[in-house]
This record gives sequence, structure tokens and C-alpha cells, in this order.
Amino acid sequence: MSDSYVNLVNSGFTKTLAKRLGLPRPAHLRRHRQGEPLVPGPVLVVSDAASGDAADAVAQRLLDWDLDVRRHADPAERHGAVVVVLTEVSAPADLGAPMLEVGSVLRGLRPGGRVVIVSRAPEDAGSTATAAARQGIDGMMRSLAKELRGGATGNQVVLTGTTAPTAPSALGALRFLLSARSAFVDGQPLRVADGGAEPADWERPLAGQVAVVTGAARGIGAAIARTLARDGATLVVVDVPAAGDALAQVANEVRGSALQLDVTADDAADRLVEHVRSRHGRLDLLVHNAGILRDKLLANMKPATWDPVIAVNVTAPLTITEKVLAAGAFGDAPRVVCLASTSGIAGNRGQTNYGASKAGVIGMVRASAADLAAAGGTINAVAPGFIETDMTSRIPFATREVARRLNSLQQGGRPIDVAEAIAFLASPQAGGVNGQVLRVCGQNLVGA
Amino acid sequence: MAESRSTSTSTSKARSPKATPTPTTDGTPRRAVVVGGNRIPFARAGGPYVRASNQDMLTAALDGLVARFGLAGERIGSVAGGAVLKHSKDFNLTREAVLGSALSPETPAYDVQMACATGMEAIVGLSNKIRLGQLESGIAGGVDSTSDAPIVVSDALRTILLDLSRAKTAQQKLAAVARIRPNHLAPSAPTTGEPRTGLSMGEHQALTTAAFGISREAQDELAMASHHNLAAAYDAGFFDDLLTPYRKLTRDQNLRPDTSAEKLAKLKPVFGTQLETPATMTAGNSTPLSDGASTVLLASDEWAAERGLPVLATVVDAEAGATDFVHGRDGLLMAGAHAVPRLLARNGLTLQDFDFYEIHEAFASTVLCNLAIWESEEYCRERLGLDGALGPIDRSKLNVHGSSLAAGHPFAATGGRIVASLAKMLAEKGPGSRGLISVCAAGGQAVVAILEAA
Amino acid sequence: MTAARPEPVVVALAGVPSLGGLYARGVAGSVRPGRSRTVRSDDLPRTRLHVGGVSPDPAHLTDYQRLVGETGSDVLPAGFVHVLAFPVATALMVRGEFPLPLLGMVHLANHVEQRRPLTVTDELDIEVHAEGLAAHRSGVSVDLVATVRADDDVAWVGRSTYLAKGYQLSDGDAADDDRPRESPDAPTAPPTADAPLAPTARWRLAADTGRRYAAVSGDQNPIHTNPLAAKAFGFPRAIAHGMYTAARALAEVGPRARGEAFTWDVTFAKPVLLPSTVDVRIADDGAGHAFRVWSSRSGRTHLEGAVRPLP
Repeated sequence: MSDSYVNLVNSGFTKTLAKRLGLPRPAHLRRHRQGEPLVPGPVLVVSDAASGDAADAVAQRLLDWDLDVRRHADPAERHGAVVVVLTEVSAPADLGAPMLEVGSVLRGLRPGGRVVIVSRAPEDAGSTATAAARQGIDGMMRSLAKELRGGATGNQVVLTGTTAPTAPSALGALRFLLSARSAFVDGQPLRVADGGAEPADWERPLAGQVAVVTGAARGIGAAIARTLARDGATLVVVDVPAAGDALAQVANEVRGSALQLDVTADDAADRLVEHVRSRHGRLDLLVHNAGILRDKLLANMKPATWDPVIAVNVTAPLTITEKVLAAGAFGDAPRVVCLASTSGIAGNRGQTNYGASKAGVIGMVRASAADLAAAGGTINAVAPGFIETDMTSRIPFATREVARRLNSLQQGGRPIDVAEAIAFLASPQAGGVNGQVLRVCGQNLVGA
Repeated sequence: MAESRSTSTSTSKARSPKATPTPTTDGTPRRAVVVGGNRIPFARAGGPYVRASNQDMLTAALDGLVARFGLAGERIGSVAGGAVLKHSKDFNLTREAVLGSALSPETPAYDVQMACATGMEAIVGLSNKIRLGQLESGIAGGVDSTSDAPIVVSDALRTILLDLSRAKTAQQKLAAVARIRPNHLAPSAPTTGEPRTGLSMGEHQALTTAAFGISREAQDELAMASHHNLAAAYDAGFFDDLLTPYRKLTRDQNLRPDTSAEKLAKLKPVFGTQLETPATMTAGNSTPLSDGASTVLLASDEWAAERGLPVLATVVDAEAGATDFVHGRDGLLMAGAHAVPRLLARNGLTLQDFDFYEIHEAFASTVLCNLAIWESEEYCRERLGLDGALGPIDRSKLNVHGSSLAAGHPFAATGGRIVASLAKMLAEKGPGSRGLISVCAAGGQAVVAILEAA
Repeated sequence: MTAARPEPVVVALAGVPSLGGLYARGVAGSVRPGRSRTVRSDDLPRTRLHVGGVSPDPAHLTDYQRLVGETGSDVLPAGFVHVLAFPVATALMVRGEFPLPLLGMVHLANHVEQRRPLTVTDELDIEVHAEGLAAHRSGVSVDLVATVRADDDVAWVGRSTYLAKGYQLSDGDAADDDRPRESPDAPTAPPTADAPLAPTARWRLAADTGRRYAAVSGDQNPIHTNPLAAKAFGFPRAIAHGMYTAARALAEVGPRARGEAFTWDVTFAKPVLLPSTVDVRIADDGAGHAFRVWSSRSGRTHLEGAVRPLP
């Protein structure tokens, strides 16, 4: 599970050696710890000329968060983050000035620093030139992310419709991407609409929420449960009866309750609804994390390797979400988060079944966004890239070494990174994010 | 946690069953309810739990229960439990298990010991405390390991070692050590033999079996039903919320879903082989030595309602019994048959007034002898002092989800297994349904109890 | 026969003699050259050995109770009183005037009347005499009778019948009876003497059973403790003390069932070779509790007897 290479190239003699040899030197990523500053240094807010007012408004909100905000680039300063407000660009030529200003401070960006661009969706543009400019930002951001080192990331908040850069959902997304919670999210555009609400306490945004996490006995599911609990949620953790002992440990650790349930069983949704209703009255957050792999080349595929993957990974989330909605068991602002995969986006040899299921999840998320919105909620997916888990630790060494370095951060992510993204999507401030797939992959080359 | 409580109370009240005030004002005790249970799968001796201690297994069973009902960090009124085979270091077994569990360390605990009825006695004791208003919640537990059974040194060596510890001078110490002989070093393991008779439980039951003329076929048939019923219950997911896997075991290891009359008929008798009548008791219709643990969550209605927890059944009443097996008067394992009429009389019930009968299958013939006693006009009159036979029971209501022959029998854990399963069966059957439990125990004892759907 | 006997001579001993010394004398006496193998019925000494102020040792009592399976009560088990009186009886048998040899004596039967309970705090007066020299088909038998008083009141009387093999009674009846095989008030024998009977208990008697009882009772007779010595007396292995098996049967009946005052009879039919496993049956026969101990393997009876309440 551990990536000893990251330790080697960051300490002692082996660090020097790696430097001399010019070996890739993945950084220790900055991860969330309660009480630590949101960003590791002053925040520079940059904008194009037309977006000045928007940038001022954003800067004001950053000040409200007690951040040290700068409005003018000083190449001598070591910044913790750069926020680039480009909401009002109207032509590709508008990008040059602000981006060159950003470039002037990049060498001084602190380890674990952030560059977050706030822009608008190309399809909402009033003119072709604006659309071109807005789409240009996407390619620019992805390239910038690949240039950053030292665990720094570059991402983009894409406002849809008339969403103001200071809307709670826009600020929520910005804050997430600035924070250590987004350690393994890199090179990603996150589309945000109006909606959402600022939490009463940014450290416990999920306080009072009842969360169900399937597949929670170990790995990413257990990390999700712990993270949601850390953020204040009351947990019901679900896993198959056979994983009950590990599930019990997780339930007790997060002071939640365990429900031994096969999500593919006919009565799974009924038992789930009965459990949350009797114990907590309702359900606020539903995380469909349960998933299985049965890798085989399609030429060798059998029903025994195909059917369960589809049943667990996509049919169960579909059915359970529908039934919980129909039963009216959700609270006022439900959040559903599914686990997709980069394999569902880019495909993977030997994973026709898995790819179908995970791409199916993406389709489901997009298609049911309207239903959830009607219920006052959202549904989104997180697509993890290479994550260091029990599952990936069984990949042969050489394959694993290649797979984990194939991204801009040159390392595998951790279960907590996926969990943080899910906790964000489950939070009140993410109310404007709906029907989206957020990749947690360190900007993996696969399917990028 | 505080947040979740506040959100849960309002909604859970709607489904709260008729709650009596605490303490009751009319002098009648309030109800003690079974909220649910949890056990680990039972393993065969020397199986997957071979290195697990009683404390390990009891803690695992407790943690699973705590997880099922979201009780992490909660202070439970009392935890009562025990083991039949116990190390001297486990003098405070249950409390130690609590300290190692996810429960609040402020949860008190005490050990109970009534041989194979330990689990039942713990449940009855806690229920009574809840009924009296002394407790709002309690967890009854039981555990046994025949794989990690205590081995003691021989009596001779023990005496010498105790003398040694009391010796003051070097000379006295040397003198004590000098008394040790090689044959003293052979350890003595516990047996299932009755201390007073030296007969094993199986040998005792073989005498009773012969006395009642229980046939091999009838015993095998009961054993087969136990396996088939337990397997069906597993397949139906009945145990999904009664059991938490442990050490990679997800089902009772002794379960043989594919056992058949033919397979059982092939087994050689192991008990009663020295008797005049043909021996009938085999490894197939006798319970194997097992390892495992079980727990049951008991509470007042109010306590359960406050937490939105289910209420499966009430513990209505219980009775203990014992027989004079030392003088050969009664069978060692027949005390349940003796205690049931007293329990029925006190509750104004007949033997036929039940939807389920859970008679612990120490041996298939134990169950059949119990039934034979109740059906015997002569025995009921002469030995039980009744007006006549209690009569037969509807056999389709007996051990419907299997019992110890299939599941195994880690002595002190059996009561918890039965009570949790029966409580769930009663909840599924619905209001007004009623179950009778009888668990026999070493020393010629038994505890019998009545549960009703809550 | 007894009417003709002269008045007894009471010999007071200073204390309970040590069995070790007695055995040395007994062995010496038994191999006394030129000892006559023919005895007359009036050859028995008139001596009554008396020891007063015997105070039971609590630790000794505990060891005994634990060994034979008695509860750890302050009441002396009837078999424990026998153990206290046994050295006195032995002292009588090793006296030069005693006509039979100590070595090789076989215990045929034992009859005890426990008239009232004795406790560990009682001071006991023990008096032993011999009587009833009688012909037996394989020798001559004799009864050693011990009377135990506390506060001048007879509380316990024990009669042990021993056989000296190969001896003859010159003036007795023909040795055709085996009188001691059953005491007058012994229980009716089980219906089928050697047929399988449902046991109520099973004893697994280890090889060291004889040595362990010897350590507690002081009866170091080598046929119980040493397989070689047992062979010398015609047994393939060491044999269990009869009084050990009888005491276990008494314990098995238990304090409640036997009551405060009772008789305890036992007849030893066949020695229990060590180690071995024996089946035991204790049963209420209406008049009290009968017991029988037989070989689990062969079904042959080792001992049988009864415990019956005294009015």
C-alpha cells in the first residue's frame, strides 16, 4: 500500500542521488489536517482586465477566510496559491496578460501550492470568440497543471449559466480546490451552477447529516466513512455479510452503525431504508462505493465474470437510488455520490465488464441529475485514477510502478484523496455541482 | 453523535412500541426487550479460532453488536457473560472484553457461570434487572473455546508449586523443588466429564437415550433437519443481521448443508457402546466441540425507542431446573423437561401454546428424550407430579432454523445464539407469537424461558 | 465360642503408632521361620489396643476428602475414621501373640456403623480387638473390630474382615463357606450379576491410585504401591486399596442421601488392577443406596455394597 519511492526521493542520501540522476521526484502531497491553514502561503488573485471586479469580490471572500491575499504579482514572494479570475474574458487574446503574470510567480509557488482558474462555460458564451477564449482556458489549465511540481496542482472552476464567482457553490468549489482536501485532484475542470450553501462550520460541513456508504468495510469505502464522520456526518456503513468483521470495526471507529447487506439483493433498498428510517429518520448522503473487479479479456469472458460486475457496480446504485427516492427516505437536500473510474472513461484492457459498469455509472449520474435536483439534491461521481489500496497492491510490481507514475503528481493517490472529493460533493457548499464526474487521478494520462 | 441523536428522536418516537413509564407505578415490572443479537460464526475445535482466546472472541462478538446498533462509545447498563472453560487469568473475562471493545469503558460487567446455560442465565438475569428498573440496557454474552482450553498442571505439581511459593528459606525451596517428579509434569486438560460421576456428557446421554429407547433413525433425522434448516436460514439471509464473520469464517463451520440420512447412517456410534442396548449416538447426531461467542442486546422499551432501535421480543419468564443424575434417578440432560411444566403453570400456558420451540441440541437424543418425557403419561405423573402428559408438540415448529447439531455448541455461547434467533423469528412472525426455549447444562441443569413477539 | 473367651486385656498405647515401624515388624513376623500355618479358633489374643485423645488433623482430613471425592466438610467421612483406626488395628496384628501374618492379608469385606457424626474438633478414643477367626475356602479369616468413641459415646464401629491365605483352622467348620462374601444385611445382588448394567458413574483409576491412597491412609502395603511386589503376591499389577474404592462409592452416594447415621457395607469380590477404568452404579433400592463397581471392559464385579440409614 505504501509508495516507498516517494519517501526515498524526499529524504537523505537517496534524495541527493535522485536529484543527480534526474529521476522523477514525486513530492509528499499536502493533505488535510485539522487546524492547518487552508493554503501554505499568501494567495495571489489575478484577473484579466474585464474580470477585475469579479476578482475583487473573490479576493474579498478570501480575506473573509482569513487568508493573506495579494492583488499584484511579486516574483520575490513565495505564494501558497494563485487564483486566476477569467470570468469575463471575451477573446483568446485576453488570456495572455493574466497568465503571464501567473507565470512570473510560479517558481516561487510553495510546495503543495495551488493554481485555480475561475472561468465560465464555453457553451454559455455569447460569441464565438468568447467561447474560444473560454475553451482555451481548459487546455491552458491542463498544460499548466502538468508543469507544476512539488505537489502543487492546477484546477479550474467552470461557472455555468449566470453563476456569480462569489456564489456559495462557486466559493465552495474554489475552497475545495485550494485546500489540502484536493491533494490528488489535478488538471480538472469542475462545473458549478448556482446553488448550495456555505456551511456553518467549514471543519464540520456535514454536521447533522445521515450518511450511508456502501462497500465501507475496507479501502476507499472505509476512508470515505472516516472522512464523512470527520466532517460531522452520522454514518451507516454497509457491506456484504462476509465482510462484516471489518465493517464492524469501521462502524465502531466512526461511531456509526453497520448494516450487513448485499447491495444486489432484491430487498437491499428496503432494508437500507428501514435501517436509516428507524435509526435516524432519514438519509442525507448516499455514497455508492461498493464495487468489484472480475478482469478477463472479452474473448474469455463468462457470465460469472460479467454479470456480478454489472450488478454490483451499476445496477445496484441505479436501483437503490431509485427506490430510496421513491420511498421518500431522503432528507431535504440529498447528495448521492457514485464511484466511477478512469477505466470507465478511458477503458482498460481486460475490463470490458468493469468499463461498462463504470461508464454506466457516469451515464446514470448525468441522467438522474434532474431527478435529484427536483428533490433538492445532487448526484455526482468521482472517478479515481491509480489509488494505493489492497486491490492495487496486488498488481505486479513493474506494472504498478508504471501505473502509479503515469500522472502529473508522479505517484498513486490514497483512499483519503477519493474520500475528500466525495466529502466535498456531499457537502452543502457543493449544492451547485450536479451530474458531474470529478476525477481524482493526479491528472492521469489515461483518458485525460 | 449529538446531532444524530437530535435528528433521530423525533422520527423514532412514531414507531416506538407501547412504552411503560419508568419505574412502574402499579407494582408490575415493566418489559425487558430483546433488541437484537450478534455472534461470530461457530468454529469446530481446532478450526479457524484455534489461536483465539475467550476474550478475543467475546470482544469480537461485542464489537459486532456495538456496530450493528451504533453503540460505539455508549455506556451500557451492564454486560453479563461468561465461559464454561475458563482460564484463571480470565477471572474478569466479561469486563476485560468490554474494555477491549468499542463500548464506553464506563460500562460495568460481571461474569456468570452456569455451564452450558451460562448464556441463558446471563440473559435472564439482565432481563430481570431491566424489568425491575435497575438497568435500562444490558448485553448478555457467552463464549467458549475448546481449542484454547485451560490446561492445568497435575494436582501433585500444583501442591508442590504452592508449597514452593510459601517456602521462606532456600532450604525449604530446594526441598519443595526436589519433590517434583517427571510424571508431575504431564498437564491435565479439562474434559466434558461430569466431576461427580466421571461419565462424559455423551455417556450420560447414552444412558438416557437407552432408557427412553430413542432410535438411531429418529436421532439422525433430527440431525439432518438441523443441518438443512440452518443451511436454508443462511441462504435466506436470516443470519445477515445476527452474525458477524470472524477470522474469515462467514458461516458455522460445522454446517453440512448436503448431509443426508445415508451419510449419517454410515457413522459409527461413539457413546453408549458399553451398554446392553445397541449404541445409537454418533458424531453426526451429537454436537461437536466448538469455539465461538454470542451476544444479545437487552433493553427497556424507552431505551430502545430513544435510539430508534428495533424491539424484537420480550423476555417473558424463565425457570431453571436440575435433576438427580448422581444417583441414577434422572438423565443428566433432562432438567429442561422438568423445568418446563413449572414455567408453563406459572404463566398459565400449555405446551402447545407456542409458535416456536428452541430445544438446544446437545445431542439429537436429548431433544427426543425431552419430547418423550412430555409425551409420557407415566413420567409426567410420577416424576413431574402432573395430572397427565404435557403432550406432543408440532414438530414443524421445533428448531426451525437449525440448532446446535448443525451450528455447533460453544457452551456458554449457545443461549445467546438461541435467544437472538428466536427473537428475530418472533418479530418476523408478528404480534402474539410466542417461543419456548430449553437449554440443558452440565451438572444436571437447565434453563428454560418464554419469549414473545414485542 | 465367644462365651468361653477370657476377659479382655486392654493395652493402652501412648498414641497412634507409626505404620512404617509396624510394617517392618509385620514383615519380619510374617516370614518368621517355623511359623505354624494351622491356627485354633481360640488363638486370638484377648488384647484390646486402646489409644485415647486422637485429634484429627485438618490438613490430613482435607487430603483424604479430596482424594476420595468427599465434600470438604468438618464432618469426618466414615472412611477417614477407618484410616485413623487402621494403624491401631495393624499394631494389634503385628503383635507376637497374633496368629496370622500381616503380609499378604486380603481384605474381604468391611462393615461400618456410623452411629453419629464425628467432626474434626472431636477427640477420639480408638479401641481395636480381633474376633471371629473363621475358616475360609482358601485360608482363615479374621475380623478386626475398631470402636471409636467421642465423649464416651460410641460413634463409629468398623469391622474389617481379612483373609490369611493358605492357613487352616484346626477346630473350625469345614472351609466350604465364603461367609464374608456377603454381610448379613448386604443388599440383594443386582439381578444379573455380571451382565451389563447402566452405570451412573465411571472412574478412571490411574496407575498411581494406590500410591496416592497410601500417602493419605498410611497403608503402604506394597501390593498397592509396587507392581513388582504385587506380582510376588500373585497379582499381575498393583491393585487399588479396597477401602479407597469403597470410600469413593460412599462419597458418590453423598452426604444428603446417606444421612447422619448409617451403615456402610462393602464386599470385595475381585481386586481392581491399576490402572483401569471401572463402571459404577449407585441406585436407590428403597432401603437405602446400593452400589456396585465393575470392570468397564469385562463386566466382572469388583466390589458391591450398600449405604443404609441407621434408625
